[in-house]
Amino acid sequence: MIKKLKSHEAILVTLLIAEFLFFNATGRRFATIDNLFNIVRHSVEIGLLALVMTPIILTGGIDLSIGSTLGLCAILFGKLWRDAGLPPWAAAIGAILVGGACGLLNGALITQLRLPPLIVTLGTFSLFRGLAEAITRGVDAFTNFPESFLFLGSGQILGVPTQAWILLAVAILIWLIVHRTVLGRSFRAIGFSSEGARYAGLPVERRILFCYVLAGLVAGIASLTYTARLGTAKADAGYGYELLAITAVVLGGTSIFGGIGSVHGAMLGVAALAVLNNGLTRVPAVMNIASELSGVLTGALLLSALALGTLPKHLAAWRARRHISLH
Amino acid sequence: MKRHFRELSVLAALLLMLLVLALFTPNFYEPQPLLSRLTAAAPKLILACGAALIIISRQIDISIGSLFAVCGTCAGLLAAAKIPFAFAIAAAIGIGAIGGAINGALVAGLGLPSIVVTLATMVTLREALRLAQQGVFINLPEGAQWFGLAMKPGQSFICAVALAVLVVLAFATKHLAAGRFIYAVGSDAEAARLAGIRPRAITFAVFVLMGALAGLAAVLNMAQSPQVDPNSGRGLELEAIAAAVVGGVAVSGGRGKLWGVLIGLLLLVCIGPALTYAGVKPYWEKAIQGAIILLAVVADGLRSSARKGLFD
Amino acid sequence: MAETLLQLESVTKHFGAVRALKGVSFELKAGEIHALLGENGAGKSTLIKVIAGAHSPNSGSIRISGQIVERLTPALAHRLGIACIYQQPALFPDLTVAENIGLRLENLGLFQRVKWNERRARAADLLNRIGADISPESEVRSLSMPEQQLVEIACAIGAGARIVIMDEPTASLTQKEQHLLFAVARDLRQSGVGVIYISHRLEEIFALADRVTVLRDGESVSSHPVGEIDEAHLIRLMVGREISQIYPESQSAPGDVVLSVRNLNCAAGGIKNISLDLRAGEVVGLAGLVGAGRTELARVLFGITPADSGEIHIAGNLVEIRSPQEAIAHGIAYVPEDRRRHGVILELPVAANITMASHRKLFANSWLNLDRERVAAQKFVTDLSIKTDGIDAPAGSLSGGNQQKVSLARWLETDPKILILDEPTQGVDVGAKAEIHKIIRHLAARGIAVLMISSDLPEALGMSDRIVVMRNGTIAAALPGKSAAPAVMSAALGARA
Repeated sequence: MIKKLKSHEAILVTLLIAEFLFFNATGRRFATIDNLFNIVRHSVEIGLLALVMTPIILTGGIDLSIGSTLGLCAILFGKLWRDAGLPPWAAAIGAILVGGACGLLNGALITQLRLPPLIVTLGTFSLFRGLAEAITRGVDAFTNFPESFLFLGSGQILGVPTQAWILLAVAILIWLIVHRTVLGRSFRAIGFSSEGARYAGLPVERRILFCYVLAGLVAGIASLTYTARLGTAKADAGYGYELLAITAVVLGGTSIFGGIGSVHGAMLGVAALAVLNNGLTRVPAVMNIASELSGVLTGALLLSALALGTLPKHLAAWRARRHISLH
Repeated sequence: MKRHFRELSVLAALLLMLLVLALFTPNFYEPQPLLSRLTAAAPKLILACGAALIIISRQIDISIGSLFAVCGTCAGLLAAAKIPFAFAIAAAIGIGAIGGAINGALVAGLGLPSIVVTLATMVTLREALRLAQQGVFINLPEGAQWFGLAMKPGQSFICAVALAVLVVLAFATKHLAAGRFIYAVGSDAEAARLAGIRPRAITFAVFVLMGALAGLAAVLNMAQSPQVDPNSGRGLELEAIAAAVVGGVAVSGGRGKLWGVLIGLLLLVCIGPALTYAGVKPYWEKAIQGAIILLAVVADGLRSSARKGLFD
Repeated sequence: MAETLLQLESVTKHFGAVRALKGVSFELKAGEIHALLGENGAGKSTLIKVIAGAHSPNSGSIRISGQIVERLTPALAHRLGIACIYQQPALFPDLTVAENIGLRLENLGLFQRVKWNERRARAADLLNRIGADISPESEVRSLSMPEQQLVEIACAIGAGARIVIMDEPTASLTQKEQHLLFAVARDLRQSGVGVIYISHRLEEIFALADRVTVLRDGESVSSHPVGEIDEAHLIRLMVGREISQIYPESQSAPGDVVLSVRNLNCAAGGIKNISLDLRAGEVVGLAGLVGAGRTELARVLFGITPADSGEIHIAGNLVEIRSPQEAIAHGIAYVPEDRRRHGVILELPVAANITMASHRKLFANSWLNLDRERVAAQKFVTDLSIKTDGIDAPAGSLSGGNQQKVSLARWLETDPKILILDEPTQGVDVGAKAEIHKIIRHLAARGIAVLMISSDLPEALGMSDRIVVMRNGTIAAALPGKSAAPAVMSAALGARA
């Protein structure tokens, strides 16, 4: 198992290098510091979401609603600041707490009512986005945030984009949780066998709830960097981000069935997607269709990663069948 | 009676809703607007039937909306190129079936969870469509709209087709062995295998059928306006799933009636005008849709015993 | 002279080193109910699986209606008219009884019409024939387990089975349902079907069966017409062998009572009015037949299915155990029966498995300390002689006996005061068995109270200081440690003394 993971990361790093070389050759002003910062700025939200999607998928669950949570948090941030008159830092805390509440709703329905994560988060995907649209009456957008806030999205600390530090901090935190604490160990156990985990005395429901609440809180944080980067909070913030997060996580070697996976793999997956996305906008030939092309390639990448993920299982089954028929 | 409790309670809700509308917004029942409303809902009925079959077989398909858009665009392009309309229709259905086959192959063939597969195909198809079409509307030739009929007969025809599809599928799921196999596989795939039914073949077939239905729905949609919008279909999968779930189809698989889906869809269609009357603005629509899905699922979850769902 | 439907001659079956059947001969005639009796592990279920085609024998012959059958598969067995009614029916919960029967018996092509009237009529007819009061329109999910079994029997009859195997069919039936089942069995006999009837209930065997065959340790010990044998004789046949193995002797007298249970009830687990005491340093064997409620009791004590009523005292204090975490906090450890699903997590490494129940103890502030884990795991690998390809090997790569040791190690790491072992040596080879027995004695000597669920009578008798026998969810008898095997078996069977 350890060998497999290492090879997965090797493939990803190779992919990254290949992307880099390709876009360097075909793209205009791809390999500049400015562009690198650009890539980083644009990948923070996906990075944050992929980070918290990893524990959820490790436990064998899924969260289709984090993009919508991001949108709702962004809107509420704007509302708290503009209409309720709160200072940005207070509104930010409010937004993050709302995210946590969203995660709590998901987690409660999943653990207390034993409903499948799939359909619950499909419902909240709609509900949260719908609430965002309702609050903004479909048209409202929050702008003109103070410089102190926008610094989050466009400023630099120590020569590195501000939000990168946030991503780094959250990444370290999640990495530590997943790879160095008993919580992370329990996520894997639950993903492999929730019954086995229960019989070992692990508090299965509590751990699953934790994953979803954490996802909500971090989605709240992501809503802040998103708003700060764009300078606007609109109801469609984060639309489609759940797919990107899931793709990054699966690309990074996390099994969709649970138990196997890594946070650093997910980060490599995010990097691969971010570079792809950005690189396409730099290649003159495809510049004007960059976003669509990026979407197509992302979907195709996810399918390939999924299919390749099942390859070992099918190879083994095929070998076993041949063995039986030969004897 | 007990067996249909779920469907009957939705029917009761629908009748109540219709009563409320009759009392407070009687202009809801004016013939022409009502017909238009039903016609607009006709493609959704077809999609909801397909979604219902998918859920009954214990899978899910969220690429329905993208398939719908792709099929509609292809049919529109063919029609605009003066290719005989009948061929365009067949092509739309065929392309839908191919899309469904891709989903089916990945889910049934490779054993991948349908949620992630259809999530991926949903985005891939939509972005590929955006790439190819660049959001450009397609102008349909004369005689394409309403299938060459006047508006009123055209609308009636479209509604009739949708109802016919419902009737055929309802018949098939009740009286054809293949239809019952879908329920068997959704209820317990292993017991199905032991009984000689092939779960993977059935699963594959249901996805192909869903794709073909998406194509047909796209055609019915296309015939309602002089242009094809390549950006159509967004959120249709959720509407379809909502109609199915409200109509009594259980996410745990193996249960649900297509006529229940019809009632579920009608109920959702009526909620719009009812909310408008109640002063609820249209931008609440998505939130209410999400709430409805959650309520239906929670209600069903509370009623049934703890049974493993799609993703456990 | 009735036709011989089934004849097994010198059938052997082994799984690796374990020899489940060592030369069984068995005969079933048309129009008879032939009971199959034997304690747990005697080979009954293996024999049944061989007859149903699920296992192929390593040697010996199977004749069906006089013809030798090579390479019997489940599909072939079905075609030859063999039907097996297991305790877990393979029905479709969301569909009606009529449809369940229809799907099993019909052979429809995809686009053929379903004839609902015929389906309903056939189902009604079959259910009627066996006297089952079940509406063909009921949803299978709403049926009780016994009712589902009846549906399976209806399927068997509908398939024209000539050999019907019933595996402990009355295990969870009410009095009324039992009579119904007897009537069904008699009807089958009347119509020329041969019924193989597995049951532990001696009164049933005497009431229903024509012949009885006793299996012991994988061999068919004897077959008798029911009229020519009595209970005592049967019991002797079931258990009669020398307890040749030497079990480690108890070192010291038991200490204080550490666990005291009074009037424990749990409807979900089917246990009623359980009262027992466990002392430090003693090994109490919990004997009884499958379905007696021993594992259910363990699960109640461990918090997996909390009790409805009753009291649990630990070291004199009244406690409530609502979850495994609470049980562990009170010093209770449970080594489960289902090793692969509950005992270990197959995909995780041995070391992770060993420390899985002791996170709070080993890892301060939730930080994994891989060095500490390594040390702890290595200690157990050495102490328990666990044969593994390193402590990072996934638990799934170990043999059954070694997986069991890992499971045991996990719970020993929690430093328990009360250790519940559920079939600790099931499926474990002889060498590992002896090692585990030594370990258990050693643990008792250290002051741990051990409750050992075991279906291996010699083991239970040899290892226990006291034996508690369960039957039907309650305690049937409490016997001293060196009791004779027949005494234990009688209590387990509920035979008249």
